[in-house]
Amino acid sequence: MLRAEHLSKHYRQGEATITALADFTYDFPPGATAVVGPSGSGKTTLLNLLAGFDRPSAGSVELAAAKLETLDEDGRADVRLRHAGFVFQSWNLLPTLTALENVSFPLLLAGVGRSERNQRALALLEKMGLAARADHRPNQLSGGEQQRVAIARALALEPAVLFADEPTGNLDSAAGAQVLDLLLEHASGERRLVLVTHDLQIAARAQRVLHLRDGRLTKIEEL
Amino acid sequence: MELLVLVWRNLTARLTRSTFTWLGIAVATASMVLFLSFGEGLRHALAAEMGNMGPQIRVVAEGTDAFSPPLPELPPQMFDQIKQLAPELGIKKVIPAVVMFRGGFDPASSFLFYGLPPGADPRDFYPKAQVAAGRIDPHPNGAVVGSKKAELNHLTMGRELRLSREVKLPVVGVLKPAGSMLDSFIFVPLRTLQKVLGTKNYGVFLVQLDPDAKPEEVAQKLEAAIPGIDAQSTTEALKFAERAMRIGDLIRFGISLVALVVGGLLVANTVMMSVYERTREFGVMRAIGARRRFIFGLVLSEALFLALAGGISGVIAGYVGSALINLYTQHAVGLALSAVTPRLVFFSMGIALALGLIAGLIPARNASRIPVTEALGRI
Repeated sequence: MLRAEHLSKHYRQGEATITALADFTYDFPPGATAVVGPSGSGKTTLLNLLAGFDRPSAGSVELAAAKLETLDEDGRADVRLRHAGFVFQSWNLLPTLTALENVSFPLLLAGVGRSERNQRALALLEKMGLAARADHRPNQLSGGEQQRVAIARALALEPAVLFADEPTGNLDSAAGAQVLDLLLEHASGERRLVLVTHDLQIAARAQRVLHLRDGRLTKIEEL
Repeated sequence: MELLVLVWRNLTARLTRSTFTWLGIAVATASMVLFLSFGEGLRHALAAEMGNMGPQIRVVAEGTDAFSPPLPELPPQMFDQIKQLAPELGIKKVIPAVVMFRGGFDPASSFLFYGLPPGADPRDFYPKAQVAAGRIDPHPNGAVVGSKKAELNHLTMGRELRLSREVKLPVVGVLKPAGSMLDSFIFVPLRTLQKVLGTKNYGVFLVQLDPDAKPEEVAQKLEAAIPGIDAQSTTEALKFAERAMRIGDLIRFGISLVALVVGGLLVANTVMMSVYERTREFGVMRAIGARRRFIFGLVLSEALFLALAGGISGVIAGYVGSALINLYTQHAVGLALSAVTPRLVFFSMGIALALGLIAGLIPARNASRIPVTEALGRI
């Protein structure tokens, strides 16, 4: 489950108060939900709050039956580890680890034993078509390959919710399409994908699109 | 891929910086091991020396520095006084002696002469002393030379030893190696040395006791009966030397601590730089679900790993340095003056790890507290 109620985020800048997100309420249904809006519309702030990266100024977020605003930093980290996966625009792989080790990192945090970790991570890399690149470091992989490793890492603990922030932003169109297919493939059954993008063509591949403007939810579009 | 692998990867990813930090800790630890090994070595040498020594009480003029050769300040009347008290105090034998030091900057040009009266020989100082060539008694007119002194200065049998412009003595005996200070002494007749020094006084009385006499009590009674003397039993001398060595240890530790603090700052700097450079990585880890404690442990482990590697290398280097020093001192004075004991190894490793721990705490705390949004640049 992923639900936001009356979610707001304000920042103080000198004497002024800036509202990055105002009174956002939405119960994310299973499947893919795209969040679109121009720069500064509050997309990133929304994702930060939904994922528990940041605390809201008001309102609440319920992720996998956990009320994030009631949890401390470590509590929110635990919820993320067990129930959420992340794919960022700039891949954010750990540079000193191989592709296989990057994918098995969440499994390490979850306390999964070494052989099972390696087995599961390798299976995910195979699914991403990257088994042959398992021992490569991020700087030895192309952008598309790095993003597929990032997706494999996000899926390592089979999360209920996958957050993707401009996942194709740094990729060419072929690699972008491949990454998008892999993300949408995951958003089946009870699983949810929250896809933040400014590209309406990509958003059109989701089942619904939330339009944000000036920190407010202005339109919900079912496709 | 366990925590240690992560630590290793992070340190080797910045190999030059990690290597210099490791070397810094190693040099600091090695210097501490070397400095403190002198105290340990001296302690061993002194204990062995005291164990080998014969006289149970050493009487010198009041105020004589315990670590310098005593000046001839004890008049002959004092010798008579002690002789008179001998039956009452359980004194078996009193040997009046004179000590003369001719010093140079290295052991080969330094000479320590003991002038012994007729009837006394090196065995009165060191009961286990044995002669390798010639005779053990320097009387009536010869010199008996310790093995190391003989070797360093080529003092073979019959060679002339010049004590002053007028006084020369032939070598009449060379002692067997004893592994103690005895190896560096030269024993000559008392009258000859008094003549060289232009005195009829004595420098020291070496007092041997009956088996049932208590050295500390006799020393106290001697001091009470004869004003102007210091009477010291072997045990007291050992205690005094131990106190002096502790002070020396503290001074040496203080000096080596400076190097260690610099090493600790190196670790802190390396780990802090690494934390700043890897802010994004830590943000990613936290975003994925790493707890603060994991990040804290990771960064602290890096500091501890550097300290451990530097500490182990430093102890090994210190051990090698100590062995080299001993090679020299054994050649020069026949004694191993440096010792790397297990307690010194544990102490040095403990200090190195403690510094690593202290140096790693602040960077580790900072790394674990970076807000995820800030670390990922998501504000």
